Amino acid sequence: MTEWALKAERLTLGYGRRALFRDLSFEVARGAILGIVGPNGSGKTTLLRTILGLLRPLAGVAHWQAGLSISYVPQRERIDRTIPVTVLEVVLMGPGAKAPALHRTGRADRESADRALARLGIESVGRTLFRNLSTGQQQRALLARALATDPDVLVLDEPTAGMDVASEAITMEFLRDLNRTRHVTILIVTHLLPLVLNLATSMMLVGSQSILHGPIDDVLHEDRLTALYGVPVHLGVVAGRRTLVVNRGNQPHV
Amino acid sequence: MSSIEATSPMFEPVFMRVALLASITIGASLSVLGVYLVIRRVVFLGLVVANAATLGAALAEAVGVATEIPSLALAVGTAVALGGVESSNRVSAESLMGWAYAAASSATVLVLSSTTGDSTHTLSLLFGNILAVEGADVVGLTVIAIVILLVQWLFARRFLLVTFDPDAATVAGVNTWRWSMALNLLIGISAAAAVQSTGALLTFALLTLPAMAALLATSSVRATFATAAALGIVLPSIGLAFSFYLDLPAGPATVALLALSVPLAAMNRDAESPQDRPPH
Repeated sequence: MTEWALKAERLTLGYGRRALFRDLSFEVARGAILGIVGPNGSGKTTLLRTILGLLRPLAGVAHWQAGLSISYVPQRERIDRTIPVTVLEVVLMGPGAKAPALHRTGRADRESADRALARLGIESVGRTLFRNLSTGQQQRALLARALATDPDVLVLDEPTAGMDVASEAITMEFLRDLNRTRHVTILIVTHLLPLVLNLATSMMLVGSQSILHGPIDDVLHEDRLTALYGVPVHLGVVAGRRTLVVNRGNQPHV
Repeated sequence: MSSIEATSPMFEPVFMRVALLASITIGASLSVLGVYLVIRRVVFLGLVVANAATLGAALAEAVGVATEIPSLALAVGTAVALGGVESSNRVSAESLMGWAYAAASSATVLVLSSTTGDSTHTLSLLFGNILAVEGADVVGLTVIAIVILLVQWLFARRFLLVTFDPDAATVAGVNTWRWSMALNLLIGISAAAAVQSTGALLTFALLTLPAMAALLATSSVRATFATAAALGIVLPSIGLAFSFYLDLPAGPATVALLALSVPLAAMNRDAESPQDRPPH
């Protein structure tokens, strides 16, 4: 039996008295890569904020396996950019958040931050102000902050928003490597299904009123995706990789 | 004759020396805490808290008790209550603070107008009079400022963390709500301590303008706090000098100087080197 990292039991979530989803029960296995995918406004971020404990569920419970270290990489837009913090200071906030309030930054913290910056390939911008980085670099700095805490679980909300194609590919490859070499459980929220098509081991399709969850091969069906997105969706395999084609009129969109 | 008296006739009267010490302690603590208000985009919280402190003092006057405790209680209560308010789909947190400001300031005037016929005293409560501060008050203000600056120095990393990215901090196990409330508590205490000496307007100005200018003029966290503190100390002192030599009201003169510091800081930012600017 696979050990779980996250378990939701009869979870009802929403805002105020308005429930978006009712009675959700699911488990996320340790070491899985879960893609939480759905159209804009479907409730993905609400689901994510609820399972992270940032939003109180209307009913039920979502709990993480005891002792797991969880790191969250929020959408870049949610980060304050008026504070003149350097990239290194941002990354040091990761270990700092896990340490006691009176903890002073030491050599071990700096080494951990330097390693994380190097793994993300942004060690040269450590002294640069975070707000002065490009979108892709900011996202990588936030990823480095999460990595500096040596997490068991990494939760990412739209991690490639604003990135160019090359940065997007590098980030996805980095996450795959992190999962393979360090067995980090990864949850990725995205509205871009192709982003996680060849990365996720399991998938959560978030529709307007229902959520479908399971191994990726069980969840990915053309008729389900067509119903979810409201346009004809075709799945295929090219050079051993899953591809997705959306038909809008006579012009296919890959 | 002390050295300070020897350098300037401004410091010959005792009340000027007391006023200078009071403005230094108030300016230092309010301007440092103000950095968080500006970063969190809740500058109106400073205005509401300052007016709540004034209302507390007015209510105390109305029932004939000492003003300190009611003023402190109302300021801290307001800071904590409004600090936890979040914008909804219908009403923004800023609008709620605007409502609270209007309610507190109108209630203050109504309470004062119904209990005292002395308009000078009413004006003093509303706008403060730093020149009327007494020596004993300065001791209290200094103790409060030292405690606030010490707490800020000890926990600056935690305060910055919950300000920069409260969601990630919460997921990491930090009690973001408790730290935000601690910060609001400090703001409430410092505003209540200051408001009877400086008035609501100068208290609000000290909470927001040095921080704004510092954020515009500097490129590091340490420099931002240091510059805000320096402006909060130096500009009120210059305001006192203007008051003494030009016979201007000290509070408005200081607020004018603080307001002037913001466009000057913005001009300095415009002159910064191109590599310091964000990429397009």
